[in-house]
Amino acid sequence: MKEIVRIDNLSFRYKGGNAAALKDINLRVLPGEFVGITGPAGAGKTTLLSCINGVIPHYYSGDLQGVVVADGLDVATSTFRQLASHVGSVFEDPDFQMVSISVEEEVAFGPENLGLPSEEIEVRIADALRKTRISDLRQRAISTLSGGQKQRVAISAVLSMRPQILLLDDPTSELDPLGTQEVIAALRDLNRKLGITTVMVSQDVEQLTQNADRILLLSEGRLILDGRPREICFQHDIMEQAGVRVPQVTQFMTLLLARLNRAPRLDTIPLTIEEAALMLRGILNDGRPI
Amino acid sequence: MAPVIEVKNLWHRYPNGFQALRGINVAIDRGEFVAIVGQNGSGKTTFVKHMNSLLRATIGTVHVDGLDVSRQKVSEMARRVGYCFQNPDNQIFCETVYKEVAFGPQNLHLSQGEVDQRVEMALGAVGLLQVKENSPRELSKGQRKRLAVAAVLSMQPEILIVDEPTTGQDFRDGMEMLSLVQRLHESGHTVLIITHDMLLVARFAKRVLVLREGQIVLDGTPRNVFGQPDLLRSTFLAPPPITTLAQALPEFFEDTVLSVDEMVDRTMAVLMRSEEVSPS
Repeated sequence: MKEIVRIDNLSFRYKGGNAAALKDINLRVLPGEFVGITGPAGAGKTTLLSCINGVIPHYYSGDLQGVVVADGLDVATSTFRQLASHVGSVFEDPDFQMVSISVEEEVAFGPENLGLPSEEIEVRIADALRKTRISDLRQRAISTLSGGQKQRVAISAVLSMRPQILLLDDPTSELDPLGTQEVIAALRDLNRKLGITTVMVSQDVEQLTQNADRILLLSEGRLILDGRPREICFQHDIMEQAGVRVPQVTQFMTLLLARLNRAPRLDTIPLTIEEAALMLRGILNDGRPI
Repeated sequence: MAPVIEVKNLWHRYPNGFQALRGINVAIDRGEFVAIVGQNGSGKTTFVKHMNSLLRATIGTVHVDGLDVSRQKVSEMARRVGYCFQNPDNQIFCETVYKEVAFGPQNLHLSQGEVDQRVEMALGAVGLLQVKENSPRELSKGQRKRLAVAAVLSMQPEILIVDEPTTGQDFRDGMEMLSLVQRLHESGHTVLIITHDMLLVARFAKRVLVLREGQIVLDGTPRNVFGQPDLLRSTFLAPPPITTLAQALPEFFEDTVLSVDEMVDRTMAVLMRSEEVSPS
């Protein structure tokens, strides 16, 4: 399958910055993949997203090397306007990106700027709101919504541009647990049912191990791990060194097997509580510790 | 001993009519470490803002150190209760780190020597002495969060309230922030944190208050509160994954588990027991 995002030898240094924010990144994302990105503060996560949606180099200048192609467009030579119909971005704080008073206006904003006919805009608004399950909020003032509702409005507002790629920069970090559940459920739907390629930065490792097909670990501007969630958790030493929290179920099974003098294997790494419970039940029913 | 915070039948209604608190009753003793959890809108921040008279009770009373808060000035309460905002940038406004931390003590009309001493102490406690002359803008988000704590510490309050100590920070900065709060707790401060992070609650707090729609629905130790997962889930909160894992195997783990290490030890104990029962 042909990749939808291709990054070759990407390095970037912000204007006036001392060190490179990204160093020699190579990445291929396939259509329909759900890619999670994690890493400590300053690792380059947001910078990497900015190189895919065109914020770099169109809004931030600096020393850019390498090539980024998103949905067939060379990011550096395409206009930001062209990119907006291919790559949609949602940020940490939903208030930061809202420009309108009401939900309907916010979701209509992008398509209106494309100069689309009003019937087409209507179809897109209804469609975008339905996909994040907030059709009932259409006439509401944004200021009256909860964090989880606002963030789904932000997602709808980019969906109305019909992008093939959705980029999310820690979209649940400002939300409470219910808001987080709502947003993650909406993102899973968009990815699994509609096949939208999703690239999400998160500090919440469990959120990535339970939802992403693949996880990237960035540290000091470099891509230091790239693999399926189980493969990433299997290399928990590298996660720890990079300053990323290891999921509790991974920590537990690793420590337990060490106490039992059993070598860890890829298939002894649980990703969910259910998997961990199944493995643990097996060990306990086996009875003998060694 | 009298509680350091005593809240009786506290109701709060905002001018727009929103009933944020509906009859809170709680007493907190000197030196406690309390986590306040619940959904946004459940009343957590409204509740703590009554401790330093940033908000006034619609009905009910709040006593801090035996003083009726509603009869005290905000400045008087600031010496007793330090409140660190969720977003440090809502709190930080001076041009250097030193000035930010000196601002409070200077308003107490202390001598310059005393102000300097307090600034040194507060910046030392949060590990920011080296950047004393820097602009807060030059600091990382984690450092600004710690600066906000220092600015409150220089008032030498007995009670420290930290709203979302780890939100928006990476794991390392978050842990550093919590270790700081933990040290302040150990040095005698009464600590209240507001958080959504149940791993933090399990690891650091001695007591948890769960708020729902302006009422306290659970009040107990983390072990006690996480031992009631169904009630907790009705507020859209869940115990830490390791606690839920133990609860998924109730035939092996009767008691509530709070940490990974504890879970490993309990598992080994179960295995040892079964070996004793059926030696081969």
